[in-house]
Amino acid sequence: MKLATSKKEKDSKIKARSKKADDKQKTILEMLKSHGAKIYDDLDNGQFPKFSIPSRSVSNIVYDKKLRQYILGNNAALRSSRNSAQLRSFTQLMWLAFFANRLTNERKSSTLRDVYYSSQAFAVEFEDQSESDNIIVDLEAVTSRAREDFHIFPEERSSIFGDLNIEYTIPGYEGKTMNLANHPDGYSIGPSLTTAELVDTSAEIVIAIEKGGLFTRFVEEQVDKKFKSIIINTGGQAPRSTRTLLKRLHDEMKLPVICLTDGDVYGEHIAMVIKSGSANAAHLRELTVPDAKWVGVWATDIEKYKLPTIPMTESDIKRCYDLQKDPRYQDGIWKKELDVFLRLKRKAELEAFSKYGLTNITDKYLPQKLELAKSL
Amino acid sequence: MSSIKEKFNQISPSEFFYSNRDLAGFSNPTRSLYTAVREFVENALDACDQKGILPDVHLTIKAVEPDKPDPKPYILTVKDNGPGIDAEHIPLAFGTVLYGSKFGLKQARGMFGLGATMAILYGQITTNKPVTVKSSSDAKIQNQFEILLDIQKNKPVIVKHTTKEVAKKGLSVSICLEGDYSKAGNKIRDYVYETSLITPYASITFDDPKGQKFSHPRFVKDIPPPPTIIRPHPHGIDVERIRRMIVESQFEIPTIDDAMIEKVRKDLGLSVKKLSFTSIMEKAKKKWKTLPRQVRVVIALMSFLKMDFEKLNKIRIEDIDMPNKKLFYWDFGDSQSKSVDMDPESQYYKQLTNTVQGEPLTTFLTKRFQRVGPTTAVKFANFAKLKPEKRMGTLTNQELVNLSDALQKFEDFMAPDSSCLAPLGAEPLEKGIKKFFNPDFVAVVQRPASAYSGFPFIIEMGIAYGGDIKTGGPHVYRYANRIPLLYDEGSDVVIKVVNDTDWGRYKVKGEPPFIIVSHICSTRIPYKTAGKENVADRQEIERELRLALQFLSRKLSSFMSKRGQAEMAKKRANLYAKYIPMIAEFCTELSGKKKEPNYKKMLETEIATENKKAVKEENEIGNK
Repeated sequence: MKLATSKKEKDSKIKARSKKADDKQKTILEMLKSHGAKIYDDLDNGQFPKFSIPSRSVSNIVYDKKLRQYILGNNAALRSSRNSAQLRSFTQLMWLAFFANRLTNERKSSTLRDVYYSSQAFAVEFEDQSESDNIIVDLEAVTSRAREDFHIFPEERSSIFGDLNIEYTIPGYEGKTMNLANHPDGYSIGPSLTTAELVDTSAEIVIAIEKGGLFTRFVEEQVDKKFKSIIINTGGQAPRSTRTLLKRLHDEMKLPVICLTDGDVYGEHIAMVIKSGSANAAHLRELTVPDAKWVGVWATDIEKYKLPTIPMTESDIKRCYDLQKDPRYQDGIWKKELDVFLRLKRKAELEAFSKYGLTNITDKYLPQKLELAKSL
Repeated sequence: MSSIKEKFNQISPSEFFYSNRDLAGFSNPTRSLYTAVREFVENALDACDQKGILPDVHLTIKAVEPDKPDPKPYILTVKDNGPGIDAEHIPLAFGTVLYGSKFGLKQARGMFGLGATMAILYGQITTNKPVTVKSSSDAKIQNQFEILLDIQKNKPVIVKHTTKEVAKKGLSVSICLEGDYSKAGNKIRDYVYETSLITPYASITFDDPKGQKFSHPRFVKDIPPPPTIIRPHPHGIDVERIRRMIVESQFEIPTIDDAMIEKVRKDLGLSVKKLSFTSIMEKAKKKWKTLPRQVRVVIALMSFLKMDFEKLNKIRIEDIDMPNKKLFYWDFGDSQSKSVDMDPESQYYKQLTNTVQGEPLTTFLTKRFQRVGPTTAVKFANFAKLKPEKRMGTLTNQELVNLSDALQKFEDFMAPDSSCLAPLGAEPLEKGIKKFFNPDFVAVVQRPASAYSGFPFIIEMGIAYGGDIKTGGPHVYRYANRIPLLYDEGSDVVIKVVNDTDWGRYKVKGEPPFIIVSHICSTRIPYKTAGKENVADRQEIERELRLALQFLSRKLSSFMSKRGQAEMAKKRANLYAKYIPMIAEFCTELSGKKKEPNYKKMLETEIATENKKAVKEENEIGNK
């Protein structure tokens, strides 16, 4: 009896979830349709169709202190199909909307690269993939929706490991669940995982780590069990789907997020992008985890833990000076550590801890940093 | 210590050039053949230009033994319809180095006719054959000479001299020289081709050793106005040149002998044999204005000596000491030296001063230089810290150097006279470019005369685009005094100016079909080397080149933008036709409609409008 109830309960939960997914799909389809109808009407009235698009130029990217991320200003540009210089990109964007409409409608996934190659089937020309990537960002800007909402995903995959139950929503897998601690290589964060429902977890924290090697070490050392954590390998700068997942883990599962990167200016910025987004994605919200914390490797750790270092390159140093102008680096540890990097002019990798033993980082460094994170 | 004995020998100009023939462009058989062609063709054209004759120049190169491999002896013949050379001058003109008729200051292709002699010398050295010259300066008799050069003595050796009757004036020069036509052929053909572009009033033919004939008939019937010979500009002068001018301006004290006395008598119109001193002086006073300088000097001397002709016959003038106002002479009768005082107030004293000490500075400036007036001359004298009436003959070496410096530095002289220049003219240049390249666009400009270091120059330039022009431009055709410059392009000032130009700014992109013709005319082209192939970057010339090129580039730019607008209109029409139907297709499915929007009529109208625009722009530039 109890079992029956629970099954019923489960069914209704699944239904509710799939309704949620349906609603989302519907909203997006409606929005695309209304954009299409406007263009259709212009043409039907014997006019060159046009639309307005928020400007993504540097001058229109501003930092919003309240939102704690970069956003686009009010400048917008008019794209007109009468302008022969814009006609090509106008057509490309129309095709992309048309293609996104099909993807969403049929619940099929695509990648940036796949979009680029698919265009050829419709005689729509892109010079190279970066041109089509750019048009995809245009679509995001016009619709204020991330490309993932249109089922377009980046090629690169980062991965996740830890005690987290998920439930797929993609066609053919609806209702199917999975525990993400089942496979020691971790699970790649792709379309199905990004769209999955997060059911429950025993973890108390999310550790985002910059490098695959350390991710594997953390799994081997059972960091997930020892520290009740979900481990995510960002693979360098975290892809958007990973940032979305991090945000959902934080917002939906109420898990704090900490970032562990190499001890250099690029590592510091990887953490910053997880926390407050990048200027490149200023047209999008919902990609940031404002409460995320960077716990290391700090410039001050280099001295404190006597880590082996290598000298900074000229481009490292230039990057430091660039970031000093960024409004997000004006206070707190962000500013402090940047200044110390500039003073030391040296950097250290996460692997630097191997000098004191392969498990030194998980045995000694990580516990201290987890403790410290509570007070940050 | 051993003493070093050195032997100093004077060498003749011929010997000097023999040992330094690389300088003049005779370094190897390839270059030498090319240079020889140039020298003879240029001499022929110069000769015709000077007499206002429309030139007909025939160039022939024949191998002595066609089957031998290069390098081998060739016979080079250049024949013209110019004024010819008088028989008496031919041996010297073709048989000595540094003998020529081009020493005046005006624009000509060659300076002294030196190159032709070099070519003859080179031919003789390599093949041991004489030069053959056929000349008729009266259209009746033709003199034919075969001449060898005596290198050590710099003297001609006439091997053969014959005459025959002819009906036309003209000169034909033929030499035998070692050359390499298989290598030099390209350059020689280019040279002939490019020469005919800058000399559109000349008819030039070329028979090459392989039996090919190249013919460039004249397509302009008027010869550009010939240049005039002018006096030098103060900025273009050095100490040595001033020294020579002073010598020219001074007269020597004439030797008073029987012949001179006879001349004085004649000029004074004296029939009576014996005439007293006083009556001679009276007669001279009356006739003074008509007397030649030499006679005036003799009269002036007589006025102080107070002698008649008979006494005058018995003395010899030894010295005229102007500062101390004393006249020294040797008396044959007494066999001793005597002197008389000269009265500085006398008009004859002034006459002698002029002769002995030269002209005053101001007179020297106004008479011997171009465009210097009395006011400027006085102003200059103040500037140079010399007295205006300072006699030129009394300048010390140091004063001469100071004077030369001051001439360079004084800025109030007028710009050099450009009447000594002979630019081709914008119109013939444009005609030439049109005929040679059949371009879609052509523009030419002749800049006003300018000067560097006292040498006047004029820049003429033309620019052409499209038509028969090869892509990969700009191709630069460089000319100096109507000579095409074909070698050593890299270091030339014209190339520098062209390379400095950002053609993108003038809407010229990619590998354009595009030429530039640049012509520098000057009394002295600042060549970097004696080979006369590249022009040095003098600041004033560079500036004028830049201005000319900018002017033309702007014209090209407006042509390009019109052409661009026509192309754009066409392109827009094509783009609309291609993309609008695609947009229609995509938005139909996107908006969930079944039928495509009604856009076809709008599209047709737009395409028609754009195509009309394109035709209009094309008509505006279509001056082909």
